[in-house]
Amino acid sequence: MIESIVSYGLALGAVYALIGITYNVMFAASRVFSFSAGAVGMLGGVFGALFIDRLGMPVVLGFLAVLAVGALIGIVTEIVTVRPVLKSLEQHLYVLSTLAFALMIQQLVAIEWSTEPQPFPRVLPFGPGIFDQQFWLPMLACGSTILGLELLYRHTLVGRAFLAISEDNYAARALGLPERELRLASFALAGAIGALAGFTGGEMMLAYFGNGPLLNFYGFVPVALGGMGSNRGAVAGGLALGLFQQSANFLVGGVFASVAVFVVFILVLLIRPEGLAGAAAARRV
Amino acid sequence: MPITRRQVLKGTAAGAATLATGVFRPAIAASEPIRIGYLPALTGPSSSTGIGINRGTVLAVEEINAAGGINGRQIELIVRDTQSDPTKAVNAATELTRRHKAHVIWGPLNSGEALAATPLIARDGVPQIHPCWVDALTDVKKYPLAFRNAPTSRQIGGAANQYVVQILKLKKVAVVSDTTGYGTASVDTYVPMLKALGADVVYQGNVEANNPDLKPDMLRMQAAGAQVIMPWSVNAGFLSRIINTRAEMNWDIPIVGQTTLGSGQTKALLKKPEYWDKVYSNNFRNCSYNAAGALPPRTVEFVDRLRKAKIEMSDTLLWWIAMGYDGPRMIADAIKAAGSEPEQIAGYWNKVSAWPGVYGTITWTPDLHDGFQNSEIIMCQANSLQDGAFKLAPGYVG
Repeated sequence: MIESIVSYGLALGAVYALIGITYNVMFAASRVFSFSAGAVGMLGGVFGALFIDRLGMPVVLGFLAVLAVGALIGIVTEIVTVRPVLKSLEQHLYVLSTLAFALMIQQLVAIEWSTEPQPFPRVLPFGPGIFDQQFWLPMLACGSTILGLELLYRHTLVGRAFLAISEDNYAARALGLPERELRLASFALAGAIGALAGFTGGEMMLAYFGNGPLLNFYGFVPVALGGMGSNRGAVAGGLALGLFQQSANFLVGGVFASVAVFVVFILVLLIRPEGLAGAAAARRV
Repeated sequence: MPITRRQVLKGTAAGAATLATGVFRPAIAASEPIRIGYLPALTGPSSSTGIGINRGTVLAVEEINAAGGINGRQIELIVRDTQSDPTKAVNAATELTRRHKAHVIWGPLNSGEALAATPLIARDGVPQIHPCWVDALTDVKKYPLAFRNAPTSRQIGGAANQYVVQILKLKKVAVVSDTTGYGTASVDTYVPMLKALGADVVYQGNVEANNPDLKPDMLRMQAAGAQVIMPWSVNAGFLSRIINTRAEMNWDIPIVGQTTLGSGQTKALLKKPEYWDKVYSNNFRNCSYNAAGALPPRTVEFVDRLRKAKIEMSDTLLWWIAMGYDGPRMIADAIKAAGSEPEQIAGYWNKVSAWPGVYGTITWTPDLHDGFQNSEIIMCQANSLQDGAFKLAPGYVG
């Protein structure tokens, strides 16, 4: 039982954490929570199965193509659903535009791909058992992503420019930073991370159009738990969510496991609205 | 004598009145084609079923028309693809009943669309045959002209229950479904039926279809002493996870349930082909191979006809084609024997007894428009698909 809780819990948690990071990277560049994050995750699984299983691409090439598709979807998200509503951010129109875009993606996948779950190819010849690739691949992806983002943000000029626009985009623009291009690049990066989540979690979750809404919700929970904009918080929140969800599956089972997740989520937000790792926002008086 | 404008108007009015009163109607009606409004889902998520049924329907209509039609009247099949969308099914049904004045409606072919369209077809007073399983889709008071040439959901569950309790002689049963309306309703309906047969339902639960790890619930079933798992879901991902987990737990018990257990989608998601052993899904006796590998004589003759017509069977299910073939033939028989008016068609169907369809033997009465025989619903071996048909599950005679 413990094996199953740990292996599935951490693997699922890593997928949730990656979707949480997708939310964060988009948020940092635009102050917008793009609810297309789950849809990009779903596309990672679907395109992985399409490129490798159906079109017969080599695994590495298929993987890179999936990341490219994710980046492209990220760019389209920024141009179509975020840029037009940035001027009226306080009206929260982005909720509608990004959700509508996610729904469009989901319906297109249902029509063009399938409404039935499809098999996802085995990427590497390891497994089965608790060391199966389906468990450690998402964890490896999550670890690599957080490490890569830390390096990017703290040790490169482009990364610092990302941070600058996330801190104060007006000041960054005044300093001559190309805000629009940086935002576009952030969305491309977020799209690639979302697709990575879907690809590495594909064997566990299958290539299924219905994974979008699920990832949208379970990916948002770590962001809310870990604090908005905090990637480390998202990883901690995601892994905790995965472990808790899997424990609830064993302890209470069935639909009650989902209820338990929602109850804890609401309780945490009631006690610490800024999230477990977030800081309360200062307000000018 | 000059013709005045008043005389022309009088004559026109008289002619129009004559037409309206129907003096010439019998002559026109006797020669006009029989319009069957047909509502298949040929595209969209439910299209695999619709495409299979369509092959049988088109063949039946071609055969009837080639043989001279119905009392000399050709069948005009007016097809409207519902695109697996209940809204489109509703619009198409209204178009067929009102604009095209269809004599009969064949379809919709899936329950979601039929639930939306049947009340409208009934309101327009057009006779209807549909093959949908949801119990509420026939009701002699609400829909007196709607008839079902397929089993109900209760019959489907009943056949699986009987197989488990009376043929496999297993008493400790785990019943599980996904959290969809179909899944939860199935569990709620079938568990009391199982208990009435004397089974001990040791586990009953609903699990989210997307849950990637079903081991916790399967361990609960095992701990409760389950001897058989009965999953009710149309989600191939959910069903394949049950089958895969059973194998990974080295738990050698049968899985008995819905037709999707034997679908190609489920097969594609199995980690090893041998995991499909001891999985038994619902099917129909007339379209199943017996222990000797033979189909019933009626079906053999039908399959020969399909082969002659070069109709593909390997990428669909034989019972879908057979069901599609039976629909227009039941309509033709009714109109041939009784006439094409709604009450004539319904009157004939209300007295149909043991009508020998390829898919099923149908008996309808004025009080019951569910005509499929319980004895013709069986379980089959999920891994035995060949040319669209399955082998009977072990334990059946014949």
